[in-house]
Amino acid sequence: MNSWGAALRHAFRRLRRGWRSGELLVLGLALAVASAAMVSVGMFSGRVQQAIGRGSGEALGADAIIKGRDPYPADFADGLRKLGLKTVALTEFASVVAPADGDQTQLATVKAVEAGYPVRGELSLSREPYAPAAPARGIPAPGEAWVDGRLWSALNLHADARLQVGSTILRVAAVIANEPGRGGAFAEFAPELLMNAHDLAATQLLGPGSRVEYTLQLGGAPAALADARQLKLPPGARFRGIEDSRPEIKNSLQRAGRFLGITVLATILLSAAAVALTARLYSERLRDEVALLKCLGAQRGFVIRALALQLVLLGLFAGGAGALVGALGQEVLGLFAAPLLNTALPAPGWLPLLEALGLCLLLLAGFALPPVLEAVAVPPVRVFQRAAGNETRSRFGLVAALLAVGALVGFQSGEPRLAAYVILGAGSTAAVLALLAWGLVHLLTPLRRRSGVAWRFGLGNIARRRGTAVAQAVALGVALLALLLLTVVRADLLSSWRNRLPPDAPNQFLINIQPEQVKPLQAFFAAHGYAGLDVWPMVRARLVELNGKPVTAESFEDPETRRWINREFNLSWTDHFGDDNQLLSGQWWTAADAGKPWLSVEEYGVEKLKLKPGDSMTLDIAGTRTTFTVHNTRKVRWDSFRPNFFLATPPGVLENSGAVQWITSFYLPAGQRGLLRELVRQFPNVTALDLDAALAQVRGIVDRMVGALEFIFAFTLGAGLVVMLAVIEASRAQRARETALLRTLGASSKVILQGLLAEYAVLGLLAGSVAAIAAQVMAWVLAVKVFDIPYGPRPLLWLAGAVAGCGIVTLVGWLSLRGVLKTPPRQVLVG
Amino acid sequence: MDGATADATAAEVIFADRLVKQINTSGPADSANGSTVLAILDGLSLRVTAGESVAIVGASGSGKTTLLSLLAGLDLPSSGEIRLAGESLTALDEDGRARLRAGRVGFVFQSFQLLAGLTALENVMLPAELAGHADAEMRARATLDQVGLGQRLGHYPHQLSGGEQQRVAIARAFAGEPRILFADEPTGNLDLATGNRIVELLFELNRSRGTTLILVTHDNALAQRCQRVLTLKGGRLHE
Repeated sequence: MNSWGAALRHAFRRLRRGWRSGELLVLGLALAVASAAMVSVGMFSGRVQQAIGRGSGEALGADAIIKGRDPYPADFADGLRKLGLKTVALTEFASVVAPADGDQTQLATVKAVEAGYPVRGELSLSREPYAPAAPARGIPAPGEAWVDGRLWSALNLHADARLQVGSTILRVAAVIANEPGRGGAFAEFAPELLMNAHDLAATQLLGPGSRVEYTLQLGGAPAALADARQLKLPPGARFRGIEDSRPEIKNSLQRAGRFLGITVLATILLSAAAVALTARLYSERLRDEVALLKCLGAQRGFVIRALALQLVLLGLFAGGAGALVGALGQEVLGLFAAPLLNTALPAPGWLPLLEALGLCLLLLAGFALPPVLEAVAVPPVRVFQRAAGNETRSRFGLVAALLAVGALVGFQSGEPRLAAYVILGAGSTAAVLALLAWGLVHLLTPLRRRSGVAWRFGLGNIARRRGTAVAQAVALGVALLALLLLTVVRADLLSSWRNRLPPDAPNQFLINIQPEQVKPLQAFFAAHGYAGLDVWPMVRARLVELNGKPVTAESFEDPETRRWINREFNLSWTDHFGDDNQLLSGQWWTAADAGKPWLSVEEYGVEKLKLKPGDSMTLDIAGTRTTFTVHNTRKVRWDSFRPNFFLATPPGVLENSGAVQWITSFYLPAGQRGLLRELVRQFPNVTALDLDAALAQVRGIVDRMVGALEFIFAFTLGAGLVVMLAVIEASRAQRARETALLRTLGASSKVILQGLLAEYAVLGLLAGSVAAIAAQVMAWVLAVKVFDIPYGPRPLLWLAGAVAGCGIVTLVGWLSLRGVLKTPPRQVLVG
Repeated sequence: MDGATADATAAEVIFADRLVKQINTSGPADSANGSTVLAILDGLSLRVTAGESVAIVGASGSGKTTLLSLLAGLDLPSSGEIRLAGESLTALDEDGRARLRAGRVGFVFQSFQLLAGLTALENVMLPAELAGHADAEMRARATLDQVGLGQRLGHYPHQLSGGEQQRVAIARAFAGEPRILFADEPTGNLDLATGNRIVELLFELNRSRGTTLILVTHDNALAQRCQRVLTLKGGRLHE
């Protein structure tokens, strides 16, 4: 009696018929929209992120690399290939090279590569430095060398020049214009020579004791790369993925991920609001049915089982249907987006489908089950007394909703801080809206008496359905908040992001400037229209003691830290830091602090060496040991492309330490390459680094990301509108009945319509205004705390929010209620 | 009838003793705390034996429907005792009372009370299913056939006329083969001719199945078709 089987049968039957009789349609629609949005956004953004990951792979020259000091055993590379990865080996070492027929020499980085190099990105070549470049076909042929512009200039090379490399002679076949994977600490770049791995043995340069770096470039699917990361590496080898790659790329990718995170979260919040509101109304309609079931002998357990099963079935069916629509939608999205992203999108992952079903069940459990279960408490006597059981409310609803919100944060596990900001913002908006809506309801009561019949009817509706009106205002407000965040604020944030890398961002770096060359160099630039060129001093230093204790690379566990300690630090001095530096702890120094042995440490150093203000570091600078005190820590925006240093001191400390070099950066328009030739002629020892390619990569990522986000936002915006429609649709039955009654009493369609529109206009205005203020606050928090971009108040946003809220809600309300007005009153009242 | 305190016998399907039902209403402050206690039933007693048909009549607001709710275990009295099919309703919790109703009690309401989302057949199957009858569908089909709706099994309530909806409700009431049938103004929402047909059907099924019928109505002609007519007045029954 009252068994699970009977409950399941009832649930299934009720659900099957419910679609046709329209009762569950709205709730199902809300879930389907949520699921479709989640799947579309989840699948599509997953694909876009992969595509962007590939794009960033160009910066590394591969999807990941393994670097070590020893050749790799054959079975190691085999193991990688078995994982489905493409591998290309690279042998790098420093060697003196010289023209076969001259007496100049130059220390260069020699890179011997095998076919397939580079795994990602495109190598481009030119006949001579700064001449038009074309993509390379393959790698240097045996007996050939490709050199970069600096080696060409340093050795005064010409086309087909012959270069002595160890015991062999190579012909200079091309100049490298752009090479993927050249990054890292630019100041360490030595001129480069690229040769075929077949010629390596003939150079006879690789003997015992030679310092060689063996690199394996890897290409393949993220899953295979993740597996490779887990492999046991040969001793001394280290794995680097795109995420461990250059800081400016990492910054850009992190920001892109955060934008996507907001989008998905906003979509989920919209759906949660719609589900909560629809379920509440549904619960009110369920009460009569529950009372009748009890009257016919149904026990409480049966009713709970039947309703819960009904929700589970609804979640699976509606969520499944929405997921299918979402999967199709993201395919279409992919077709449109691929040309925009300049790349073919990889195949979608199927995990978002399961996630969407899980999300639907979570939304139902958190936001629908509690109000629906409230209906279970209805006494059977309600079949005679309509008012019985109207007051059943439980506090379980709030707890369940809070738990569900907590679980939603779990869905966004990658960005808990971001999720917390967005959810806190939405929660505060909901609370403020609830309070305002409640106040409005009270305020409207006296106003009704002074207004016309249409307004009296509309305002009366708000006042009479107090709880529903408050819930509706909250849901609409949250929906409008999401829409505002995704439209106005998105444009603001994206343009701020784009503008961080202005068109005239420095694209040329000059290094190795000797102290006595600083003034002549500035004069040279002033003569060519670059007045006031900023130059930065640079000193090499090695860390020897930390807080009075001697340290070596071996003092640290982390291989990345060991590598860092093994290198020499670049140290600079300055009396002030640029706006691409943000103070983390301690205080900036002033001009009065000149000469004090203080250090300013960048976030990386803070993280790796666990430094804080007050700690001491002893550095070996050109053989002299100096102890510094950490005065402040700061965070550098590396994607500003301006010279920045991990460590810096006030002026008056390092000037006389010997071995000071200067560096500078400037923007060189594309048509003025001749300036570089002139510069190299006048200052032959100064090395020019062309960062155009690196800049283009970062700009490319931002552009791809912005393009993709425009699409995703458009979709979320559409989903938000549909959810809003579902919210208004949920009260359709009740409105149909009231409208029929009013028409029976002689009200014209015009009066009724005006009344309904008045109600929606007031709700929309209220919700829109609060949402705009909340969007503004959230945008500021997100910009400053999460994205590190400046953001000021936008007074027009409030007006836009109020007008948009009023307009959108009224329009959606009118669209959804047109049918109600056309239905003959008898049909509604009898039915 | 009033004041009867005799013990229930095996043949008694309804036994009500000194029933009182009071409700608190907020209204003009004629009592200290500003609320008024309204006694709807005031020490009412009733015994009904198996197979009897009893009409309860009375003016609007006299408490007929309240009495029906109490007798069917849909609500509890303020004091007094009720036994339904030999079991004390006041000793049972809500689930216990629901279990008692399942399969033993049928209802016919003035407003039909069909579930809009279920077809005629599914509505009729519901009580039998709740009572755990494996042959719920067969019974429902047969009963719908009996009320002349054998051809309308798949129709939804909104696709049926008022009279047809009430016939579905009657079929639902009888499909579970209840021992007691409670009918609350079964013709109240119907025109005279349809109402008469429904009454015929109700009494015919009642007769053929030997069900005990408790009928609440304000229609004297309808009441006179029952074996006993009780008038509810001043919170007590008068025969």
